[in-house]
Amino acid sequence: MAVALWSLRRIGAALLTLLVVSVLIFTSVRLMPGDYIDLVLGPLATEAQRAQAVAESGLDDPVVAQYFHWLFGVLTGDLGYSFVSNVSVSEEFAARLPVTATIALLTIVVTLLVGIPLGFLAALRSEGSAGAVGRIISALGISIPEFLLAGVVVFTVSTLGLGVSVGRFAPFAVDPGRFFGALVLPVAVLTVGCIAVVARNTRDAVMNVLVEPHVQAAVARGETPWFIVRHHVLRNAAAPILTIVGALVAVLLGGTVIVEFVFDIPGMGSYLQTALGRRDYAIVQSAVLLAAIVFIVASLLVDLLANALDPRLRLTGGSRR
Amino acid sequence: MHSAARAGVAFTAVAVLALTGCAAGASPDTEPTQNEVAPGFLAVSDDAFDGGGELVVQVDYDTAEASGLDPQGAATARSWMLEGLSYETLTTIDENLDVAPSLATSWETPSDTEYVFTLADDAVFSNGRAMTAADVVGSLQRLLDTPTTWTGQLGPITSIEATGDLEVTVTLSEPYAPFLAALANTPAAVLPMAEIESGEVDITTEMVGTGPLVATAHRQDEEWTFEPNEHHPDAASLGFSTLTIDIVGDEATRAAALRDGSADFAVLNSIDSAELLANAKDVTVVGQRNTDFHYLMINSLTGDEALQDQDVRFAINSAIDRDAINELAFGGSTAATGVTPAGLPDACVAADLPSAARDVAAAKAVIDEIGGLELDLVVYTDEPVLAQIAQVMQQNLAEIGVTVEIQQVDYATYSAAVYGSPADFDLALSWFAGYADPAMVTTWWNPEVAGFSAVFMKGSDKLDGLIADGYSTAPGADRAAVFENLCTLADEQSEMVPLVLRPSTLGWNTASLSPTLSSDEGYGNFLRYITQFRAS
Repeated sequence: MAVALWSLRRIGAALLTLLVVSVLIFTSVRLMPGDYIDLVLGPLATEAQRAQAVAESGLDDPVVAQYFHWLFGVLTGDLGYSFVSNVSVSEEFAARLPVTATIALLTIVVTLLVGIPLGFLAALRSEGSAGAVGRIISALGISIPEFLLAGVVVFTVSTLGLGVSVGRFAPFAVDPGRFFGALVLPVAVLTVGCIAVVARNTRDAVMNVLVEPHVQAAVARGETPWFIVRHHVLRNAAAPILTIVGALVAVLLGGTVIVEFVFDIPGMGSYLQTALGRRDYAIVQSAVLLAAIVFIVASLLVDLLANALDPRLRLTGGSRR
Repeated sequence: MHSAARAGVAFTAVAVLALTGCAAGASPDTEPTQNEVAPGFLAVSDDAFDGGGELVVQVDYDTAEASGLDPQGAATARSWMLEGLSYETLTTIDENLDVAPSLATSWETPSDTEYVFTLADDAVFSNGRAMTAADVVGSLQRLLDTPTTWTGQLGPITSIEATGDLEVTVTLSEPYAPFLAALANTPAAVLPMAEIESGEVDITTEMVGTGPLVATAHRQDEEWTFEPNEHHPDAASLGFSTLTIDIVGDEATRAAALRDGSADFAVLNSIDSAELLANAKDVTVVGQRNTDFHYLMINSLTGDEALQDQDVRFAINSAIDRDAINELAFGGSTAATGVTPAGLPDACVAADLPSAARDVAAAKAVIDEIGGLELDLVVYTDEPVLAQIAQVMQQNLAEIGVTVEIQQVDYATYSAAVYGSPADFDLALSWFAGYADPAMVTTWWNPEVAGFSAVFMKGSDKLDGLIADGYSTAPGADRAAVFENLCTLADEQSEMVPLVLRPSTLGWNTASLSPTLSSDEGYGNFLRYITQFRAS
């Protein structure tokens, strides 16, 4: 019962957060200098063209009415239309979301498969040179900005002719080989930073558990390292690692914008970036709201899972120590 | 060292070597070549080149017009180029920027206000219907009846009539020198008027023209697919099967696509790309001269109060070193210009303008008199060269005691600051399309006609009079004299200050493409000779 109440409270808070976020997103987008009308019509447009575009875009309605119109649309599954292409935003999302989701999913899978073992390895061998090298690599991975790494990769791959073309994306339904081929480099770029973050935090989490009395007792009892890891470390280190994975979702939301642009991948990130430049409000509002939903849901899931793994968190409101 | 660490070091080493190796291999003369392979051409396609392949062109941004795909509403050079693949105009411009026949095979001018066009008898819209004189009359009349950006460029038309099955007569109220050049751009395209009027064709969403290609797919900001218009006279001889235009925003990615062969042809905005591609196998980079030019706006209405003084504006103007801009931002590949684009017939000579004397001491004295000046200079990030020009100007103006703070913003923010009312800037950089007749762009120096410039410049009746004279004076010595006076006066008033021409940097992969490119272009249409491209 207590778990159910706690979960309901978290879900309620998430919904309230989303409502506030929707207001903030709408307001922020409208406060940005410049608008679609000036941008697309250009300075040479006639007054008649300008008036027609304003009327057709609905931008002559009061701002509050525009907000509720948009919110009602979102709640009923209508995200509006792009000012520029006049194509339904939902339709564009349907085409682009799977691309970005695939990039994010592949990045998370690779990150977990590589980052967690690396973190464990670094924690268990923290005293040796391997630990020092691991820390340096982690620091480098975290420090290198994605746009820089992406630029170097694009240049290197195209210069050395490694058999991988930059861009030339094709939808999965058209050519699965080209679809996944085009995602290799973006995923590789994104995983560098993510692996570094996960490895670093896994290492810290594991090292925190390793110094706990019950682990020390197990060591004193002469239990094997592998047994200790399986029975004493894994479960206790899982919650903080899970929290980091949840935070990775936010990192990925920003990272995909950059890699999709650089690698010419038609996903949500590049769509949002172009729309932002054009002040194509319906796209920007809906894409940012979607990102907020993804982040809030991911955080919620992480909290629920972490609580399931470690009931002590419920007593401390979510923080372990 | 762990294998992961070794791999990391190796990767870094490769990246560094690749970057430095390329840079080391680049010589100072790696700016885009402007060498002609034939008079007026940077490249001429080789008939022996294996054609018939898919042609992939990468460009930096897509067309985005409130009027959709309606060519009459096309207001930017990118729209003109893309829509020009499917539409044709009565006239066109040749490699010398002279007006040449297109859908009108010839014309006569019985008087200086009357034009009689003879139409091609083999022009067929992509829907299979032959073009008629009624289409020509209807298209031009539609442009007059529904004013767009281009309507004003057509001049003082009083009537458009079909005077034969394949003959159209246009009458003007007074002589208008740029008329034929204005007809040569995409907004003056001939449309299938019968289908538009019956509602059979929605010209805002579908391109139905007499041009060589038909757009079969378009995803906004992503990709265009064009296929041959089987009714076009050149359909059988096209040197490629399909044309794909990829929209790739990142300059480095377009350069990479040329290097790895995934693009046959690409637009490169920065001359630095020419240097980066200098050692790339099978890649050629050229600089196509344009009549387009960069200019500086000096806000004499709502900018710093000191800018209301013409002497202060002229001091700023005369402190700017166009040669330094040319060398540092364009690698020496461009030239200074006045209001009339350098290179066009009768255009004024930039070196003869009052500001060209570049008297830094005199300019400094003017600024010293007001106790120095601090100004902001706004540029937008979409056009990286603007920031480079701004940096050169910042140094130039520092010499005369003007401190400049450069503000780089996205275009929407720039647009709000520069074209909003009131305009919120001191100095701003941008560029104009220069068109194919020297009179056409002068319009923008008349704030009442241009509209957009009324928020930051006053103009003058005298300048407006010279602009009108430029339009009505026939090409030749008299018109050159008008332009000389016009350029001089605009230079002295220093509200919109022309700087240098804006060349196009274009690259292609020689292993997969043999293109035809003119040395000069007036309407930003680097694919003007697309029917001669051969892609393997």
